[in-house]
Amino acid sequence: MSAKTTTNSMNMSRRKFLKTTGIVGGGLVVGFSLAGCAPGELPIDLSENGFIPNAFLQITPDNNVRFYCPRDEMGQGVTTGLATLIGEELDVHPQQMDVKFAGVHADYNNPAMGVQGTGGSSSLRAHYMPLRQVGANTRSVLVSAAAAELGVAVEDITTADGHVIVAGKQYPYGQFVNAAAKLESPEEAPMKANADFRYIGKAFSRIDAIAKSTGTAEFAIDIDIPDMHHAVVVRSPVAGAKLKSVDKSVAQAMPGVTDVIEISSGVAVVAEKYWQAKTAAAKLSPKWQDVALGQVDTQTVKDDYARAMQQEEGLTGPDEGDIVAGLAAAEHVVEAQYWAPYLAHAPLEPMDAVVRIEDGEADVWSGVQGVGAMQGLVSRFSGIPLEKVRAHNTYLGGAFGRRGTLTHIVEATELAVASGKPIHLLWSREDDIRNGVYRPASLMKMKAGVGSDGKLTAWQAKRVGGNITPKILENMIPALFPGLGDSTIEFVVGLSRDVFSGWMVDHSSIEGISDDYDAPNKVVNHVTVDHNVPLTFWRSVGHSYTSFAKEGIVDELAEKANIDPVEFRLNNTVNNPRLNNVIRVAQQHMQEMQPAEGHYLGFASHNSFMTDVAEIAEVSVKDNVITVHKVTCVVDCGIAVNPDIVRGQMEGAVMYGLTATLHGDLDLQAGAFKQSNFHDYPILRMQEAPAVDVIIVDSGTAPTGVGEPGLPPIAPAVASAVFKATGQRLRSLPLRLS
Amino acid sequence: MIEFMLNGVSVRTDDDPNTPLLWVIRDTFKLKGSKFGCGAGLCGACTMHVDGEANRTCILPISAVAGRHVTTIEGLGTPDNLHPLQEEWVALSVPQCGYCQSGQIMSAAALLENNPNPTADEVDAAMSGNICRCGCYVRIKDAILNVSAQKLAYNAMDEVNA
Repeated sequence: MSAKTTTNSMNMSRRKFLKTTGIVGGGLVVGFSLAGCAPGELPIDLSENGFIPNAFLQITPDNNVRFYCPRDEMGQGVTTGLATLIGEELDVHPQQMDVKFAGVHADYNNPAMGVQGTGGSSSLRAHYMPLRQVGANTRSVLVSAAAAELGVAVEDITTADGHVIVAGKQYPYGQFVNAAAKLESPEEAPMKANADFRYIGKAFSRIDAIAKSTGTAEFAIDIDIPDMHHAVVVRSPVAGAKLKSVDKSVAQAMPGVTDVIEISSGVAVVAEKYWQAKTAAAKLSPKWQDVALGQVDTQTVKDDYARAMQQEEGLTGPDEGDIVAGLAAAEHVVEAQYWAPYLAHAPLEPMDAVVRIEDGEADVWSGVQGVGAMQGLVSRFSGIPLEKVRAHNTYLGGAFGRRGTLTHIVEATELAVASGKPIHLLWSREDDIRNGVYRPASLMKMKAGVGSDGKLTAWQAKRVGGNITPKILENMIPALFPGLGDSTIEFVVGLSRDVFSGWMVDHSSIEGISDDYDAPNKVVNHVTVDHNVPLTFWRSVGHSYTSFAKEGIVDELAEKANIDPVEFRLNNTVNNPRLNNVIRVAQQHMQEMQPAEGHYLGFASHNSFMTDVAEIAEVSVKDNVITVHKVTCVVDCGIAVNPDIVRGQMEGAVMYGLTATLHGDLDLQAGAFKQSNFHDYPILRMQEAPAVDVIIVDSGTAPTGVGEPGLPPIAPAVASAVFKATGQRLRSLPLRLS
Repeated sequence: MIEFMLNGVSVRTDDDPNTPLLWVIRDTFKLKGSKFGCGAGLCGACTMHVDGEANRTCILPISAVAGRHVTTIEGLGTPDNLHPLQEEWVALSVPQCGYCQSGQIMSAAALLENNPNPTADEVDAAMSGNICRCGCYVRIKDAILNVSAQKLAYNAMDEVNA
């Protein structure tokens, strides 16, 4: 059966769940698509098995079970998590699976997004039922095939570890793939009851642990292809400033240099080896055009935000009850302003990509949070049709939202086109800190009131800052619609900018600022002030700063009303029972803690990405230095598909959040970020890392995300402990005592 | 022409003597396990052993390793023959994104080579040059201390048996 035939038959059937799609070269290929079989050839190497892709599973006669993982592995453990879902119902141990990253195809779209992207802590939530269903359907058809081949009833067959078992005798699945390929697959084979899970909910090593402990996991930086040349780009220190002029002669004459090329983002040196390109690029002194951002310092941003906070009402977001009446009914009212700075993601692998253009076709390798967008950008900037661009996703050396913005793919493509050579582009750390996309700075004013019964009567929040959605659209539309003209894109992006500054609040700007507490009277306002700093998602997005303001004001209000702050939260989260329970569990742990002399406990809780987390930080302060000794983290994320990975994500989010709590700051000077590397943009190191105790609340409900929700509570938890230790309310991040 | 020992094998290169060792290992000798993270000796992703000591090779010119022994992650262990630290890294699922882990393991291996029984503070000090942006520090530390304890136990058993 040829690839084409199978694709056509799929197109004709267009079933809700894809059936057994064919057998080629002796293997079974199974896939699904929630929307039916999407058109187009599947991005699987046909030379190996001759399979039609559009598939999640490929089982060969020698019983190799391959899983094409539709999501990107940036450290969050998604390959292990998704393999566990499919393996659970298929009865194959996830560690026994041969996991490959899927190429581009609509069948691999994220059901939560409608595009092939990874983020928003969505993967386990979005794939929990669909991938289990694929596993169950596949197991069912294998069992039917085995029953026919072995002459036994389906009821007499059990399965385990990739084998059919009949009367105690084991037969590998591979033995039945040819027979299975001729059978109709059920669309909705029954799935296991939770009590029967063998892999879901059990801890075992990550399936990528060996590769990542031996230097053999392949990242984009490791891609090495024949005739590959290395590129270093010099960009304006002020975002958006175009190249005015550059003298290329010195760089051009340096050893190993083959090209010095002007591209849309600046000027690039192409050389035989990276160090040659790097050395030559240092000899370039380009001049840049002036842009408005060039007049902006951090103080400008702060002054503009403060003025807007004071003088502009802004747009109204969530609005319930009567805030004036709510404030009037309060016995105690507090009001305070909170600040959070611009932040860089600083994944340890800087942006990098390899692009090869040859004979009217292209290949691109990079580790990105949207492999379809990567393909689209290469097509757009090379003029090569989408179907002739092969996008190869690698492991991502950290992402945290950063690898959803793909200007490095544009650069590498422009360089491959202009030089006629396969290009390996690598950003430096300085490029990463200074030429990146950032967590938006935010000024937040919170005002809340509590009645004599300890119940919130009023909740008022206002945020000033930039919006990320128009910036995301600016990056994603050219990538997702490579055929769309520049002027159309400019129109759409401009429209979104206007919409979110003048018509409706960009949800990501205020998410988490008003949702958790029960106040009957709530209002959120937003004023957009944008200085043209490039912005994007940053681990937990809006929650990364709204939690600081939201939990901070609750701490202040509880103190003023003389109510225990944890008790206060319990009394005011009745409408969010899961969050309420997480707070209660954390309270029980907190009551048993006996902090050392001079240590103080701070508490905070937050719901984000449908997951509830409470954290207790044990903190001491000496000579104005804040030390976090231990963090206890209680999480309810539904079923913990792999509890050890859930713990790891909570540990990691605490550390990532602590870097922001204690160190993270970027200063604009004349439109350029002053910081450049880890000496002035410090990252938490081992000697500062607290012990982290993670408690996972038992749950039988479907999983919710864990990549981000561990982050939002940590800054306010530490700030609360610092208040207890010093009496100082710190309302600016990073926390600095004076 | 500079000659040195790379994972026990004599090699030579005519790369510019100022080229950092990291790029010679990666681009010339095509060993990709050691990573670039900062280019300034600040993050440790490029850590290799030079004559048994942990070294930040993104700022170490190859002229400085002439005639010396360089060990990379590829020389420490392989998927089929894991170093005890790598075994423990797998057992504890230490890596998340994994990008920094070659450097972490090389720093840890140099530490245990020189100090088989480090205290927690000594582990902190030895590992303070290695950044993990995913924040796997708790597990890295546990893995090092576990391997140290296992080694001590083996050594004690050896002595008893002797």
